[in-house]
Amino acid sequence: MTPTLKFSSSPGCSVLRTLALVVMFMVPVVGWAADPLSVRITYLGERDTDSWHGAMQGLDEANAQGKFLRLRYELVNANDQADALALNGVAIIADVSPLRLLRVSELAFDTPVFNVSAADDDLREACQPNLLHTLPSLAMLDDALQQWRRKRPGSEAIAQAWHPRFRKYAAAQLNKRYTKRVGRSMSDAAWAGWAAVKLLADTIARLGVAESSTVLEALHTDLAFDGQKGVDLSFRNTGQLRQPLLLIEDGKIVGEAPVAGIVAASNLDSLGLADCRK
Amino acid sequence: MRITALFTLILLSTNLFAATGRVFVSNEHADSVSVIDSATNQVIETIPVGKRPRGVGVSPDGKEVYVAISGDNAIAVIDPVTMKVVRSFASGDDPEAFAVHTNGNLYISNEEDAKASVFDPASGALIAEIEVGIEPEGVALSPDGKRAIVTSESTNMLHVILIPEHTIETNILVGARPRAATFSADSKIAYATSEISGEVKKIDIASGKVLAKTSLGDDKAKPKDVLVSRDGQRLFVAGGRANQIFVLDAHDLQLIKAIAVGKRVWGLALSRDGKRLYSTDGVDHQISVIDTETNTVVATIAVGKFPWGVAIDD
Repeated sequence: MTPTLKFSSSPGCSVLRTLALVVMFMVPVVGWAADPLSVRITYLGERDTDSWHGAMQGLDEANAQGKFLRLRYELVNANDQADALALNGVAIIADVSPLRLLRVSELAFDTPVFNVSAADDDLREACQPNLLHTLPSLAMLDDALQQWRRKRPGSEAIAQAWHPRFRKYAAAQLNKRYTKRVGRSMSDAAWAGWAAVKLLADTIARLGVAESSTVLEALHTDLAFDGQKGVDLSFRNTGQLRQPLLLIEDGKIVGEAPVAGIVAASNLDSLGLADCRK
Repeated sequence: MRITALFTLILLSTNLFAATGRVFVSNEHADSVSVIDSATNQVIETIPVGKRPRGVGVSPDGKEVYVAISGDNAIAVIDPVTMKVVRSFASGDDPEAFAVHTNGNLYISNEEDAKASVFDPASGALIAEIEVGIEPEGVALSPDGKRAIVTSESTNMLHVILIPEHTIETNILVGARPRAATFSADSKIAYATSEISGEVKKIDIASGKVLAKTSLGDDKAKPKDVLVSRDGQRLFVAGGRANQIFVLDAHDLQLIKAIAVGKRVWGLALSRDGKRLYSTDGVDHQISVIDTETNTVVATIAVGKFPWGVAIDD
């Protein structure tokens, strides 16, 4: 059961509301601006990368929801790993090397750490409980291609998480919002950054709680997010976000994986390492 | 002589203002509206209306039919008697769904602008704009005229808007990608569909509490339109790619029957007497007509490419 919260957005009764939120958000990660409530998300990595711009787009959209709930999300750029941990955000979005991803997720204990740029399979096989991957793994991309080639032998297609020409499932609207904001088209890393912030904020809004370990648990069990890909996405116990992939040939979207006719179109676990125990 | 003239005049005016019994269907990819005679289930006219027509509605007096022309950022006004576009007015960016208030005003979701807007169709004047979440879609008006609900697809909320203040009263979080909502006859309950999570929720408007929820079992069930039967006992839910209309008990949302219709069933309309339900089956380019007593399809009618919305002038 996903709890459904009702938030009043009418002005007045701000003392009562603040008190109610103090009770609801009894957590250290929250910066205490009077009203609205501030929720800090940490970003570890260079600015001006696709992942960063994607995360900023996600932040815009998180705040578009947050303004109705008196929540304000902020994305704070950390200088280094120590800084990222000291900032004490509800989660860390990290665009760093695989080694540093593993290290920071170990040190962050039960704070969710989102990998938005590394496709390495080792990172999924590590099964670090708080390390979540919104970017698809190399194995997922490879499985998508294998399925596609069984259907279209000799195809030169490549597999991607996202494409600027993707239109279905309101993907066109996301591509338009992103291009308008950033001035270039949305890449896989940009989608991964966007998805991390968006699904994190939506989970916090549903929980009514911004405490890291509670949020981490809800991300694993109660995610309600489609990523503009038309299906309910969820995290595997490897930390990988289950998701459909796109097959691109000559700059055009020629198919989607799981490839219908080869596997069931709903079988997202036909892509990549499905389970830590296997 | 004078009495006869008066009688004729009355007869004439009665005829003029009697409902046509016509069903108006927007064909999203054909840029047209198909007009069906509900007595014969025949298409009697196809009206070119502009780019990408989606939402359809009828004025409270039945004298006008409105069509949201998404690609032209306009509302086209059709005379249901002559079946011609008589005028159109600018409606804000990318109008999608809308609802017609008993006072005649249109409540429109503007998908790309994250806004709902209120228009007076007589003058084309913009009466109010309300900021809502990202990708607003479904619009519902309470029968008492005091509230509107706008669903925002990418913000996963129902925004309850007070009328005439046009301020947001509450925001209710629901499942992923809420598509449509409708009110109970007493205006106290809302029913809403979430496309991705495949959910239907029953919500108490005063408290914002979820009174009941159900997940439509079918994997492919991507619920879209939802309507309440005239007696308030049942819900009709368009199941999208499940190619079924789900008939639910309005009290506990238990499934009563799944009616197989055409592919990607999307829009729904119910006749005034509640006996006939019409669905737009997008991918099959057809309308299904359902007898609501037996919950069976009694006719299918070929229309233009990708029918989206449907409304009845009865």
